[in-house]
Amino acid sequence: MNDRALQDEVIRALADAPYRASAEWRGRRLADAGQVERFARFLARHFYHERIVHFFKYSRALARVTARWPEAVLRQPGFDALLATAVLGDRATARAVARLVMAYVAGEEVPYHGDLLRYQEAMMVVEAGPRVWSDTGHGDDRPAVAPPDLVEGTTLLELEYDLPTVLPQLLQPWTTPPDAPRRKTRLLVARSRHGRVAVARASDAIASVVRFADGARTVDDLARAAGLRPGDIAATLRDLTEIGAVRFSTGS
Amino acid sequence: MMVGAFYNPHLGAELAAASTIDHLAMADPPAAGDRHWPAIKQRYTLLLHDYLGQLSEPLDDRAIERARSLAGLYDSPWVAEHFQCLHTEDGTYNLNYVFPPLYTEEFLARFVANANALKARLDQPLVMENIPGFFDVRASQMPEPIWLRRFLDATGTGFLLDLPHVWLEAHYRGLAPQAWLAEFPLEHVVEVHVAGVEQDRDLEGPWIAPTAPSDAMLDFMVHALTRCPGAKAVTFDAFSPSLTADVLFASVDRIRAAL
Repeated sequence: MNDRALQDEVIRALADAPYRASAEWRGRRLADAGQVERFARFLARHFYHERIVHFFKYSRALARVTARWPEAVLRQPGFDALLATAVLGDRATARAVARLVMAYVAGEEVPYHGDLLRYQEAMMVVEAGPRVWSDTGHGDDRPAVAPPDLVEGTTLLELEYDLPTVLPQLLQPWTTPPDAPRRKTRLLVARSRHGRVAVARASDAIASVVRFADGARTVDDLARAAGLRPGDIAATLRDLTEIGAVRFSTGS
Repeated sequence: MMVGAFYNPHLGAELAAASTIDHLAMADPPAAGDRHWPAIKQRYTLLLHDYLGQLSEPLDDRAIERARSLAGLYDSPWVAEHFQCLHTEDGTYNLNYVFPPLYTEEFLARFVANANALKARLDQPLVMENIPGFFDVRASQMPEPIWLRRFLDATGTGFLLDLPHVWLEAHYRGLAPQAWLAEFPLEHVVEVHVAGVEQDRDLEGPWIAPTAPSDAMLDFMVHALTRCPGAKAVTFDAFSPSLTADVLFASVDRIRAAL
């Protein structure tokens, strides 16, 4: 094993609690187990503090009336209990942390609070997962040779309220929380290979493409299912690929 | 000697109006809706201190272009990066926090090659910041100060000396901070970071915090600067939404008074 691979072992041990507890890691005897555990817990609290503050920023804005700050969960027993199984950046851990926040900040101060919590949870969960840190300079430009496939984690959110109209207002100064129009709204939440989360309103056609893009159905199949013409399905797939919702396998 | 702080956007109004700060380090690009940014850009010397990438791997063209673009936007006199390796090579695990590499020959060769490649593409000098280790990894082959010296000698990059990082390492090694500091290649120092430390519950000991530097830390800074003949700037190293204007301005004033 070269030094870079050894460094990866240390990083994994700090990020992945089950691995840290494993005989495989402990047998390496690379560092003091107590110090590694303490630093790993410090890192986990920092890691999720950043994400909670970022993704639950609307709940933080509402804390002016709720007095429930989302990041407070990081000092509660529920989060401490989660540390024994937490894997930083893992989607299941992100969901578990988000659920702790949702349970803590839930309330009826605004009628759209339930939608808001689901929206913020989706953002945090979609952001999780391995990401590409460096482009190799090839791959993206190679011709697509397989049917489009939904990228793991891409989420369609069905909401009762039109949240996008109220989100910017929540972050502005207010004395009474702004209202959101009660209107069925469907949002697509996706993440690029580089970890950038994007949200877009999803029409029926987009929702259809997202639901049926399984790596087996062809572009023509998707166009028929979505009721789109060839030019429109190409543009839709291009947009979905750009935000990271859909990918095409490429030739080698 | 310039005395400055980090640009904390939530304190943008206060910083835009301030007259006691010489420079601001930029940890993030200005947000699109930051109404204080034009005044900040006009008023201050700005130092690029963003995450550009970890030099255990070559930076790709996208990352280098981003660095060049930000350095141009800020008209930064130098470009800073960290001696860090915080995500696995395959991208699966990411600590999202500065973490040092193994101090080995292999990592030295990687960092030297990749820093030289980055330097060649930048229009400004590159400076590199030391990162504290909370624990030693037994695979390391040499002490951190020797590894840093060899890196700086091989690349000609400047040294951004983070004093609290040295202070914390000395604390956890049971050494006097001045003694540990003496091992570092101080003749390469271009910029010095100073900050406060606080007790951390998880670490069961002190760690960097967005608080004012203590008197002991300021004494340590004065001691260090007598040994850093090339230092051009001291920066109060606090970048956090919880940082208050009072702490930021009082810290800068105390640093300036101590010099």
